[in-house]
Amino acid sequence: MSTTTLTQDLDARPSLLGRTAAPRTSLARVVRSEWIKLRSLRSTWVMLAALFASIVAFGIIASAVASGSVTTPGGAPAFSGASPVDTVLSGANFGILIVAVMGVLVGAREYSSGLIRTSIAAVPRRWPILVGKLVTFLAVLVPTVVVSVLISFFVGTAILTSAGVASVTWSSAGVAGAVLGTIGYLAGIGVIGLCLGALLRGVGAGLGVLIGGILFLPTLASALLPDSWDSVLKYLPSNAGMSFTSVESVDSMLSYGAGLAVFVAWVVLAVVGAVVALLTRDA
Amino acid sequence: MLEVHGLTKRYGDTVAVDHISFTVQPGVVTGFLGPNGAGKSTTMRMILGLDRPTSGEALVGGRSYAASPAPLAELGALLEAKAVDKGRSARNHLLALGATVGVGAERVDELLEVVGLADVARKPAGAFSLGMGQRLGIASALLADPQVVMLDEPVNGLDPDGILWIRGLLKELAAEGRTVFLSSHLMSEMEQTAEHLIVIGRGRIIADTSMAGFIAASSSNHVRVVSPHATSLRNLLVDDGVSITSVEPGVLDIEGVPAARVGDVAAEHGLTLHELTTVEASLEQAFMELTRDSVEFHGATATTTSETDRKAA
Repeated sequence: MSTTTLTQDLDARPSLLGRTAAPRTSLARVVRSEWIKLRSLRSTWVMLAALFASIVAFGIIASAVASGSVTTPGGAPAFSGASPVDTVLSGANFGILIVAVMGVLVGAREYSSGLIRTSIAAVPRRWPILVGKLVTFLAVLVPTVVVSVLISFFVGTAILTSAGVASVTWSSAGVAGAVLGTIGYLAGIGVIGLCLGALLRGVGAGLGVLIGGILFLPTLASALLPDSWDSVLKYLPSNAGMSFTSVESVDSMLSYGAGLAVFVAWVVLAVVGAVVALLTRDA
Repeated sequence: MLEVHGLTKRYGDTVAVDHISFTVQPGVVTGFLGPNGAGKSTTMRMILGLDRPTSGEALVGGRSYAASPAPLAELGALLEAKAVDKGRSARNHLLALGATVGVGAERVDELLEVVGLADVARKPAGAFSLGMGQRLGIASALLADPQVVMLDEPVNGLDPDGILWIRGLLKELAAEGRTVFLSSHLMSEMEQTAEHLIVIGRGRIIADTSMAGFIAASSSNHVRVVSPHATSLRNLLVDDGVSITSVEPGVLDIEGVPAARVGDVAAEHGLTLHELTTVEASLEQAFMELTRDSVEFHGATATTTSETDRKAA
């Protein structure tokens, strides 16, 4: 690594870089950069595998228990009161936590290491970094969620049908909407997690707000606060989510369409908040 | 070329950088020197657009860094060596960074070779020593062949071999006509690498001069004479504006008279000289003298050192 070597390298550089066409930054190149970052971390693939396994496994176990072919320690079939769709998709309840962790990690990880400053120095317009993270994260998250949710739905309903207990088919009223809604909800929570991680610039803070404040607090609040609060609480992200991820409609919940619209609005708010913070704060 | 015009950064009531202006010329290594907390890193972060200036602007190649169509190819920077994801390999780190301006695997592998990390390129960067981290940071700064290279404390954690290497590298880059701007608080290192100096203290530029000029301006420059007739010589040289001290019998440290004049006077009077030397102040002495009043946090030892320096001079 003498200076001679360096000189040779520098001399050889124009051809390597193709200096005839000056290098330029573009959104596509930033997305590619984020893709290299995402795929080069082992945790990305470990968590995607865990997400797939938990959605499918919990769905099949719940279906088997509900069908009576497996009994709970108490002897009575669990989930007997739940709707078949909720039963076969019960893996999503656990999957949502993995999605939340993944999203926050993708959004906040660079702040923990300080790498974000290198990234921003390379892309001083900044917003393409967040777009790149969102696009690449959704590119691995959505296919995983679609495949695992559909497998748990079709395998789960097959188990219920073969056991002769209440089951549904894809064409039953509201079923397709609830299954697709579940997929959308998981993806949306991933986006909110990523944006919260970037906004709060820390994995711990992002996870605390997302899991505590967004996923659990509304449920807790509904249970503790008087019913009169329901008209407000139903607009919170997780409550809005319940209205389009289940076939059962509850009076205290929004309608399918309204719930979906409110949830999408939360997702958009998170993205806008993260972009504004990224553009205006010192890195 | 790197230009800074009236750059100011305030954090509440604290002024970190106070309306500074300077130009870093291509073709020479320019050192950015200052005590800790003087505003070196803040200035560098503002040049990169990481921190928004309260007022003023920084121009890289005549325009704001953020306005560059290919930022990494305009200015390559090393700010924090350990700012890499511990789980990602050095090679993937550089690939991801290079992808933003279309720099591919060929160039990445070549640079890993240049900085001496080829053998560990595929290992997670979390296992790297500080010195290896610096080499990776330098590789990322050079990735897109930038005309301006800006390094914050690049020799931190490097072994003597690595220090020698980076010194050669920086001079080489400057010789190619690039603008090389590096900060350091290591005086001896700066003295051997930089030709031009910008000194910052308490957020203000307190010197912008060539390294030689900076040291020459120091009052620590003096002429040392060893002579058996030291006392006679002293009496001949004593005058207004001349200060003569003696650290041991037969040795004089003379300030305010050039060596040639001392030699002439001795010859006129037939006094034997055993040694006649012009002693240049070290950068460290010159720096201490200049920044004595602008060090943000005076430690007891720092004060003692500067006092000693003054007395010695």
